[in-house]
Amino acid sequence: MKKVYAVTALLSLLGLADALYLTIEHVTGESVRCTITSGCSEVLSSPYAVVAGIPLAVIGAAAYFTVFSLATLAAFGYRIAGTLLTPLVVAMFLVSLWLLYLQAFVIREFCQYCLFSAGITVALLVVSFVGAALRGRPSR
Amino acid sequence: MKRILPFIIIIVVLAAALGSAWYLTRTIPASPTLGTQSQAPSVSSPATPAQQQGAVNPGVPGAEPAHVLGPANAPARLEEFGDFECPPCGIFHPILVQMHAEFGDQLQITFREFPLVPTHQHALAAASAAEAAGLQGKFWEMHDVLYEHQNDWKKEFDVRPVFEGYAKQLGLDVERYKRDVNSDAVAQRIFMDGKRGHSLGVHGTPTVFLNGREVPFESLPAEKLRVVIQNEIRSPSK
Repeated sequence: MKKVYAVTALLSLLGLADALYLTIEHVTGESVRCTITSGCSEVLSSPYAVVAGIPLAVIGAAAYFTVFSLATLAAFGYRIAGTLLTPLVVAMFLVSLWLLYLQAFVIREFCQYCLFSAGITVALLVVSFVGAALRGRPSR
Repeated sequence: MKRILPFIIIIVVLAAALGSAWYLTRTIPASPTLGTQSQAPSVSSPATPAQQQGAVNPGVPGAEPAHVLGPANAPARLEEFGDFECPPCGIFHPILVQMHAEFGDQLQITFREFPLVPTHQHALAAASAAEAAGLQGKFWEMHDVLYEHQNDWKKEFDVRPVFEGYAKQLGLDVERYKRDVNSDAVAQRIFMDGKRGHSLGVHGTPTVFLNGREVPFESLPAEKLRVVIQNEIRSPSK
């Protein structure tokens, strides 16, 4: 189980780095200029990039940090943290699905950093389900 | 110790995340969205970047003759690399119209094509439409229509009929426009402008040069750009 939580913590660190980068892009406005390689300017300057005045990237960073904290605590034997982890990851996955829908059908542009974040969330979901399955297995 | 170790790890990660975010937001200059209210312009800080930067890179020539508004001997010569499908370019368009009205003959404006392909699926078609209109002497008219109606055409699957509609609306010979839009002459003009952009280090739009020096993106909102141009007119850097 410890390995599962360690992988979760590492994945969430990658997600945290990605979300922090997007936050900095949002705050500094660097994403606003159009560039050759990125559709991020369209995505990050869209109205969907902000929820109740808070940049979505900040919310993402907070979510990844919470996952990291819970996984770290769970790895050190705090069982309640492990229990909270799965519903949080499922919620993040559902939000990622919604954001993918917005990029594909509403904004019609993809931001590679947002796609990376979605990929991390999928990986977290898989690892989380593996962890849940291991927890459910009778110990010998 | 084992019980507090996870909390120490969490605090260290939090400190590292906040510290790196703080450091990076300080090192990357803030770029307020064009046209929005930002800090009041200071005559000393954002006003003189064109003068403070290094030697002018002349770059390779772009398409000739260039699309120019204003006299060649204007003390402030502004060159914009733009993409008609880029939203910030659309926001910058009325700012430039405003600057043109305010500075009159003291400001020369040149537009260079820099369609961001493949990021913007219709950017090349829009650049071609503007250049084809230019062959009939109506580049700026098409330029204005494309920016003003950017949100109308950018989500279209096929923009050709839309642009042909604009050509008709502008009183162009539509049959000639249809031939010109796919012509080598138009493609060559876009290519030459792109080549010039690359030689000047342009990698995004809008990128603006004033008397050969790049104006930082954060200085493009109207209130800041006005001060930059005023300073350039008062003490031209070139």
